[in-house]
Amino acid sequence: MKTEKIYSAGIDIGTSTTKMVVSSFLLKNVAGVTHVPRIEIIEKTVLHQSPIIKTPFINKEIIDMEKIEQFIFQQYQLAQIAPADISTGAIIITGESATKENASEVVHAIADTAGHFLVATAGPDLEGIIAAKGAGTVQQSKNTAKVIANIDIGGGTANIAVMQFGEVIGTCTLHVGGRLIEFQNGIVHSISPPVMKLMEKWSNPLKVGDSAEDARVTQLIQEMVTTLAMTLSGQLTDEEHPLLLGHLPTWDKPVEAVVFSGGVAACIYENDCTKRQYDDIGERLAKSLLQHEQLQSFLWLKPEETARATVTGAGTQITEISGATIQVDADVLPLKNVPVFNCYMDTDKNKFDYTIKTAVERADALFSTQENRSPFALYFSQLPYLSFQDVHAISKAILQHLATRSSKEIPIIIVIQSDYAKIIGQTIQALNPTVHIICIDQIKVETGDYIDIGEVLPSGVVPVVVKTLAFHSK
Amino acid sequence: MNEQLVSMITQLVMEKMGNNASDKSYHDTAVPTENQKETLIKFHNTVANANYADEVVSPSTIEQSNEPLIKLYHSESSNHEQSYYSASNDESTYTSVPITEFKFEEDEVSESVQAAKKHTPARIGVGRAGTRPKTKTWLKFRLDHAAAVDAVYGEVTEELLQKLNVFQVTTKVTDKEEYITRPDLGRRLSDESKALLQSKCQKNPKVQIIISNGLSASAIEENVQDVYLALQQSLSNLKIEIGTTFYIDKGRVALMDEIGELLQAEVIVYLIGERPGLVSAESMSAYICYQPRIGTVEADRMVVSNIHKGGIPPLEAGAYLGTVVQKILHYKASGVGLVAKEG
Repeated sequence: MKTEKIYSAGIDIGTSTTKMVVSSFLLKNVAGVTHVPRIEIIEKTVLHQSPIIKTPFINKEIIDMEKIEQFIFQQYQLAQIAPADISTGAIIITGESATKENASEVVHAIADTAGHFLVATAGPDLEGIIAAKGAGTVQQSKNTAKVIANIDIGGGTANIAVMQFGEVIGTCTLHVGGRLIEFQNGIVHSISPPVMKLMEKWSNPLKVGDSAEDARVTQLIQEMVTTLAMTLSGQLTDEEHPLLLGHLPTWDKPVEAVVFSGGVAACIYENDCTKRQYDDIGERLAKSLLQHEQLQSFLWLKPEETARATVTGAGTQITEISGATIQVDADVLPLKNVPVFNCYMDTDKNKFDYTIKTAVERADALFSTQENRSPFALYFSQLPYLSFQDVHAISKAILQHLATRSSKEIPIIIVIQSDYAKIIGQTIQALNPTVHIICIDQIKVETGDYIDIGEVLPSGVVPVVVKTLAFHSK
Repeated sequence: MNEQLVSMITQLVMEKMGNNASDKSYHDTAVPTENQKETLIKFHNTVANANYADEVVSPSTIEQSNEPLIKLYHSESSNHEQSYYSASNDESTYTSVPITEFKFEEDEVSESVQAAKKHTPARIGVGRAGTRPKTKTWLKFRLDHAAAVDAVYGEVTEELLQKLNVFQVTTKVTDKEEYITRPDLGRRLSDESKALLQSKCQKNPKVQIIISNGLSASAIEENVQDVYLALQQSLSNLKIEIGTTFYIDKGRVALMDEIGELLQAEVIVYLIGERPGLVSAESMSAYICYQPRIGTVEADRMVVSNIHKGGIPPLEAGAYLGTVVQKILHYKASGVGLVAKEG
């Protein structure tokens, strides 16, 4: 049976390192011959892995975008793939790099030049999830039924994602990382702000210039590891904890097993830190993790990737394929950074019109200004079983509330959880043949997510990347 | 298929076994029964079965008939109590314990089984009682089997045909038994029907849609309207013209060959009830063929199967069928021929 190949790229700009991966996906109709087609990615092959380079900075606050672009184009050459051939993938800026002044500018600029369909993305929760996917932990959780936490410890942050049966059930991010304290010639060279905050209560805090062998360094590492252990066992309840970045843990089942990924994890599993060319606490952090008593009570599983988990996840794991029976206006694709508004449809069938009207109004209030209307996607979740008449009612409501404002630049974008995209898209087309419409299904999103919809592939499906664009501030 | 119904029937059995059910407990039973009535009659489409269902569920029938609902040990209800007691050594447990409403124990399946259940409609993780399935599993199995049998012997209602605005023709088959034992007769139109088609149908249609109950009338009852309306809309969006749709009672798939010959249709889309199974008795198929004529081989037919609420949603199937028809018209081939031409 016919297959088709698409190329994907992943770029990870982390606190201390930047890396890239180019891979190819094989798409195939996996449904039986007597069924409506279902296109899935059946094979992922990594074609090229870049070396891990130090993230280039112009100064402490500004990322050197030019150097990163040079690096990327050099890697494309080595991979023998033209940027124009890339049809999906992601560039992700993680850890402390995401807090730099030009972080947003960098990812968006690179996303526009580095590939046909590369998307900009960041956010600590998503980082953790992407790392867990890249490390193979999501797959492990499908196979074992255990509640597994993937802890991706890089230079600046530890991104925890907890999953069971292949579903992410919670996330949490901590200021725990290898580069939070840096050394130079045996003395402390820099201490990151969260660590400074942690020492606020100390009578005699560690300072720049102190010895690298100072007992307080060990104490700080212990503090980080203990905080991590408490987080994993659900004992972290202090919202103001200096090492907590963002929200408290959101999972509600006890963690049974742990997997470590990220640069620091390379020292845990491979027992070989020589590759890590940094003079910082990374190595000692890894050792402390291995020795910590409370952490030993978890089952330790091995990741498929350590330092490259996030980039592998970005390059090979975040692309989804839409349902095969969809209605899309090929002229308006690709669409980037479309915000999603969830329109719950579990209402009385007579109230569809009202529900859609309110959803459109609220989405407008959220995403658009008076002068500047921007496109957004309406996400229909929890649709009841629909009859032909119901579909007509929904389509009429969509047209009534969205058609007048739609154009080629602002098409009507509908994302549906269940398998109804073709019929709803087609009905809208029947009612109004000139309106531009993108109606896709079998994608799970939430209000606050952003989606990118790629160009139509020969099999009629579209690649979709779901992400969150929240840049965490300092 | 219907847990509440299964537990209700079990309750009736249990009460009969105790046989000291007060009127009140009968009354209690009747409450969920009434709520279930609609669903029941849906399952048992034929008149005979509807009566049967009434006998089971209606408390008034039970009381009027004065006969035991279920004859245990083949004894009359009057001496049933006696025989029951004689078989028991401990009278008190059976006389004084008031009858409480029967409930199956809650399923206590592990999270992994629950996760696995999401991926299959098969009866997994149902437990066992000794070497046998549990009562609940067994009754559910019987209920699903009965629904399958009913689907085969059921008929599509006149009301639905009127709603779809289609007329009815027949095959050479005279009754259900013959339909099942003589597939060849289900592949030929009756002589009157041929004449009727000649006079009523548009000739040389681009697309001819036909509908038959086939082996499941419930499949047609449940799905055909949505599929048909969605398909019509899809074809009209694609500007493909449709001939005169009609309904065939007791048709077989290959009947499309004779109809294709008769009306000289370019493409036939044949919506027909599938042989029912234990997962669904309401599954419908759409067979599609380019220029079906007498002698057409099976390799030229295409099918989209498993169209029902729990499978391919009928609306989505109808919308998809339109694009399939478009492709067939474009390549002037279907089935294996289409795959070959598509390259």
